[in-house]
Amino acid sequence: MTSVGYIVKATIDALRVAARNFVKPERITVYYPYEKLEYVRMRGWIGLWTEKCTSCMLCARICPTNAIKMYPAPNAKRYPGVDYGRCIMCHFCIDICPADALYPTDIKELAWYNYREMIYTPDMEREPPKVEETYKYVKVSIKYENGIPRKIETVK
Amino acid sequence: MDWGFLFSARLWFFVLMFAASGIVLLTVVWFERKAAARVQMRVGPYHVSPQLGGYLQLLADAFKFIISEPIVHKGAYRLLFMWGPAIFVTLAFGASLLIPLTPELRLIRDVNLLPYGLVFSLVVLLLVSIAIVLIGWSANNKFAYIGAAREALIVTAYELPLLLSFLAMVILYGTLNPIEIVERQWLAGALLNPLAFLVFIIATAMATAKFPFEIADYEGDVATGPYSDYGGIFLVLSFAGGAYYATFSYSFLATLLFLGGWGIPNFAVGSWPQDMLGHLLLAGWFLLKTTILMMFFAFLRAAMPVLRLDHTLLFGWRGLLVLSILAVVWSVVLKFVGI
Amino acid sequence: MREESYGLVLGERDLGAGRRVLDIFWGPQHPTSGHTRFIVEVDGDIVVNVTPDPGYVHRTMEKLGETRHWIQNIPLFERLSLPDAINVTWAYALAVEKLLKYDVSPRAQYLRVIMGELSRISTHLYDLGLHGIMIGSSTGFMWGYGLRELLVHLWAMVSGSRTTPTWVVPGGVRTAPPDAFYEQTKGFLQYLEKKIDEFVRVVVKNPVGFYRLKDVGYLSKEEAARLMATGPGARGSGVAWDARKAYKYGIYDELEWDICVEDGGDSLARTMVRICEIKQSAGIIRQALDRAPREGSLVGDAALHRLPPKLREKANEYVKLSGFFVVMLPQGEGTGITEGGRGRYYFHVFGDGSEKPYRVRISTPSWQNLRPMIKAFIGSRLMDLPAIYGSFGYFPPEQDR
Ligand code: SF4
Ligand code: SF4
Repeated sequence: MTSVGYIVKATIDALRVAARNFVKPERITVYYPYEKLEYVRMRGWIGLWTEKCTSCMLCARICPTNAIKMYPAPNAKRYPGVDYGRCIMCHFCIDICPADALYPTDIKELAWYNYREMIYTPDMEREPPKVEETYKYVKVSIKYENGIPRKIETVK
Repeated sequence: MDWGFLFSARLWFFVLMFAASGIVLLTVVWFERKAAARVQMRVGPYHVSPQLGGYLQLLADAFKFIISEPIVHKGAYRLLFMWGPAIFVTLAFGASLLIPLTPELRLIRDVNLLPYGLVFSLVVLLLVSIAIVLIGWSANNKFAYIGAAREALIVTAYELPLLLSFLAMVILYGTLNPIEIVERQWLAGALLNPLAFLVFIIATAMATAKFPFEIADYEGDVATGPYSDYGGIFLVLSFAGGAYYATFSYSFLATLLFLGGWGIPNFAVGSWPQDMLGHLLLAGWFLLKTTILMMFFAFLRAAMPVLRLDHTLLFGWRGLLVLSILAVVWSVVLKFVGI
Repeated sequence: MREESYGLVLGERDLGAGRRVLDIFWGPQHPTSGHTRFIVEVDGDIVVNVTPDPGYVHRTMEKLGETRHWIQNIPLFERLSLPDAINVTWAYALAVEKLLKYDVSPRAQYLRVIMGELSRISTHLYDLGLHGIMIGSSTGFMWGYGLRELLVHLWAMVSGSRTTPTWVVPGGVRTAPPDAFYEQTKGFLQYLEKKIDEFVRVVVKNPVGFYRLKDVGYLSKEEAARLMATGPGARGSGVAWDARKAYKYGIYDELEWDICVEDGGDSLARTMVRICEIKQSAGIIRQALDRAPREGSLVGDAALHRLPPKLREKANEYVKLSGFFVVMLPQGEGTGITEGGRGRYYFHVFGDGSEKPYRVRISTPSWQNLRPMIKAFIGSRLMDLPAIYGSFGYFPPEQDR
């Protein structure tokens, strides 16, 4: 009858663990639009300083998804524009740029109404896009205290 | 015009049962989600009514389901497919209407008929599984068929123990009259015959497809089984709502049989409608116990996986049946000893 | 009403000799089957035959790999199996390193081990979570994914992306973790071990879950070897094979750890192998965190040499790709093998002197585990299918490539 003993004991044990978690929840939920998780690093939207760009086209060539198109400019140069419908935020283009003309940002909350708006021309790449903050938010991050993850507000 | 009917016990019973079961349902489903969320490192319903902790989420969900288009697919047996959920929920909720809420708040007026009401409510509850089989059959889909077949198999596992545990309590009390049953519980029935209580609880979990016996509608292989073709209002009436009404009715019955029903020691209630507050207090006490019992079933979701079908049958026949026979023996012994 | 079109028995197929089976099309649109189809033939409740019908998420990875610069393949191959992104790209990086004769800097070796083990834990959590929901425990699912959420925060800290690190490059790694990473990882590991213990008590040792897994989907040691099971599929059947020990890549032989083997051969054994490996990985990461040099170049000398001088100074912090983009693959071939969470990843890269690989051959564990899994399916009950499927950690996108 060891198996009956095991069944009863293990059932009670499982219920006990669940009850302990019920009494002392270890929540890690982030209420997204009101709280935003702060990652230390985040690869996001790609900016361009056109004045630094030498039109070497390396960025367009290394892009794994062919997201970069070179747009002719009035000064007979060509500048890159990113199609964010294709971009996978690998930041290869930034890594390859010999003139540091492309710069990384951590803007990752990008959404558009239609696909045409996703195609950024060099002019649009100059300024980071305006992210509409519909809600006031606080930045939070997750820290471990006594081995339990805690969500804490980080002061800006 | 005579306004006396406004105080009729039957009317009040009816209204109370409908309103209360709705609120109990709202609370239990909310509790189920919140409890599971607490165990599972998350928050659960929140954004609908943040002040109430997401209490109204279920209403929003129900509204969404009700306004969505009910689809009857080609090949379904239309009549049963559409009426199945209605039959389901009627049977599931109707059973609880046959049991009095307090000595006077009841649907069956004739005291001599009350024993039949109790038996009949159990019979009606056991018919719910037939409604599930009907639903599964009418959907004409392999997963639904398998789910329905499973439901039919599980019935064999829990029906006999359920009836035997009922029998055990009836032997113990020596009556089928709910009012007398409550009066005889000088100690809660669950303490008088814990075996019968255990069997009844487990059988209820099986009958209402609560974890760990969510087998007929097990997502893993049969994709919500009999209900896999339902959407919209059909889903609300069968899988989402009906199953909870069945749990409510079973818990209602269990509270009457094992937890002392409406009885509060040393509290005698006057007659309706003079002692209205007293009756409402008793009704509230009854429903509170029912809710707590349902919350236990709801909490199992957080702790349990799903048992296998053949193991469930094995458990039903080798475990529950033996336990329930022992419960009957225990009752008979108690009866002879003279408690 | 046409009676003949209703009922279970009428849906059955007569096999002759009085035997009838019912075909069930399990997937690709099914809550648990994933993006693949299994044509399951059941006789009553017993599964008599299973025919897999894979290919729904075939993405022509191998062919695509031939059409682009070899460095561009890193983000591509990582998408074979995003839960195990580091180990996949590591295998590719090993193959390219062999081909280009690149060396790996000591610091990168430690960082790769740390991230590779995190990747293994991530895969195991992913699989355990899915396995949990497959046997009906939503708590197991949420815990697995909740822990994985904490883990991808660590990935984001190091690489800047939650699930697509694109972090391993031939010769080393792309970015150095910030100092906070070391503290945070230790906190995570402590919590992970506690939670995994609770997972075992709520899901695996819970009798309901225990009997769902025990003696289900049996695969004997001989069959596991013959059908070339890999990862937990093999180690759960008593085959003590682990690419980390067999090929000694990285610095695994400098660290202390054991191969997790269980002799049961059933779903329970495979699950316990996973759980044991999570604990072992936590141990490996702790050792590597203590020993990892905080300073030093992120790439080996050969790759460093290719970087422009301005970037060479920064190679302790990050590595830019310009040094890699100008390198052609020489004529020759190189192989890379790593042990991922689900088993062995194998990359065979052929170079022909141009920047594009001439051919990339990929072998993934889920594809290898398909046959053993089918073998384990047969003879089980219908309700066991998810329990077996989950125990192999089968992952259709990785299988289809
Ligand atoms: S981040 Fe990657 S995908 Fe996006 S534009 Fe740059 S190279 Fe292309
Ligand atoms: S790599 Fe840099 S410099 Fe060259 S074209 Fe792109 S942005 Fe301009």
